[in-house]
Amino acid sequence: MSVEEVFSSRGRVKILKILVEIGELNISEIARRSGLNYATTNRHLQVLEESGLVKHKNFGRIRIFRFNEESRRARMIKELVNGWGVGK
Amino acid sequence: MRPFSSVFKDESKLDINYVPPSLPHREPEINLLTLFFRFAIESPGKMTQRVLIVGSIGTGKTVLAQHFGQNITKEAQRRGVNLHCVHVNCRECKGSLFMILQRAILKFSPHFPRRGYSAQELLQAFMQVLDEQNAYLILVLDELDALVHSEGSDPLYNLTRVQEERSGHTQRLSLMGILRETSYLDALDPSTRSTLQRNVIRLEEYSTPQLRDILNDRVTLAFRENAVPTQTIDLASELAAMEGGDARYAIELLWRAGKYADTAESRDVLPEHVRKAAASVYPVVRRDMVSSLGLHEKLFLLGVARSFKQTGAAHMSMGEAENAYAIVCEEYGEKQRGHTQLWKYVRVLSASDIIKAELSSVGHRGKTTVISLPRIPASDLERELSKLLGT
Repeated sequence: MSVEEVFSSRGRVKILKILVEIGELNISEIARRSGLNYATTNRHLQVLEESGLVKHKNFGRIRIFRFNEESRRARMIKELVNGWGVGK
Repeated sequence: MRPFSSVFKDESKLDINYVPPSLPHREPEINLLTLFFRFAIESPGKMTQRVLIVGSIGTGKTVLAQHFGQNITKEAQRRGVNLHCVHVNCRECKGSLFMILQRAILKFSPHFPRRGYSAQELLQAFMQVLDEQNAYLILVLDELDALVHSEGSDPLYNLTRVQEERSGHTQRLSLMGILRETSYLDALDPSTRSTLQRNVIRLEEYSTPQLRDILNDRVTLAFRENAVPTQTIDLASELAAMEGGDARYAIELLWRAGKYADTAESRDVLPEHVRKAAASVYPVVRRDMVSSLGLHEKLFLLGVARSFKQTGAAHMSMGEAENAYAIVCEEYGEKQRGHTQLWKYVRVLSASDIIKAELSSVGHRGKTTVISLPRIPASDLERELSKLLGT
């Protein structure tokens, strides 16, 4: 996925920001914190996962998402978000 | 005027949650625990252990577990073993396995989702989290009887068997149960009981000289030098020994005596202050006991206390208690809880021996719950609660 595609969506950027801040979270909680609905969050996460930026693990029925630390791009995004600061 | 100085140096050392660096007269038990759990640092993952600590109120069960937990995790860290010791009070978790596991899992994965699955699923997820972090855990279940009482055998059965289902996996979960009497476990099915009761550590009640040693330790930590004369400590330890060797009572007595000394602007804590304190602490109404109640449980209890104080009667019906509670709710601007909820509070309060609740006997029409307050003067209870609720 091209860089403009990743960053073209406000929701995706929000989700990435949340994952940088918190580390690991389940979908409902990501949805709550980002103010998006569950389906949208799920779709964004799928896109992000396909592009290798995030990963999930399963605990029975529970899915928990986190940054894919093995991806260089993901680490760079993390640095970008951290460097940008907490504010909007 | 002489500038007032408190007899206390550090009050927090008298708090019930404080874990002192040494536990006088509990060395054999600490050694026994170390023996039981030696494998956990020497060959982690090879086996797990289940230990029960049994003893009456104030014999140092909780503090023993916490003290041991701190030591063993420190030792494990030194050796590079990722061992944790998580202390959960089952009564605070309302005897629910789900809440107990949740508290434990949040220590390892702070953003684990809070709902949406069963206790069984949570247990599996928990084991997975432990695997992932390569962590070993001693789960301390304080007031284990609350869990048995509300959920029966299943939770303990599952906790003890979770390892067996994972044959081939590393063994990660050890249990330590704390309770007052082993007879509380009679409700369990025989196989669960036998797995639990293999290692029992029984704590005897403290004697007067032992209590004196404990108090001496705490006095050094919490009070200004020379603020507490020997007679004061002697008296407090004798009183506590009469209460069944209850060290927690002894410490609370000392704390209150210190407060009375401060109020009287006395430089020392005198035996007289201990006597005053003894008159105001009932072994049953302790700060921790009442303060751990929920808001509406407190309000309900306050209603009951006030109503007893007014009527001077020995018993009251559930209906009368509800009316009294309604008045209190109005006063505190709280919306009242319904009958069923109140009835649950009554059960909780009578389970913790604060009030007594029985079904009405012959002579009444219909059935109602009759509430009485056998052990605590209503006015003292009222005072304590009002203080806690902040009026």
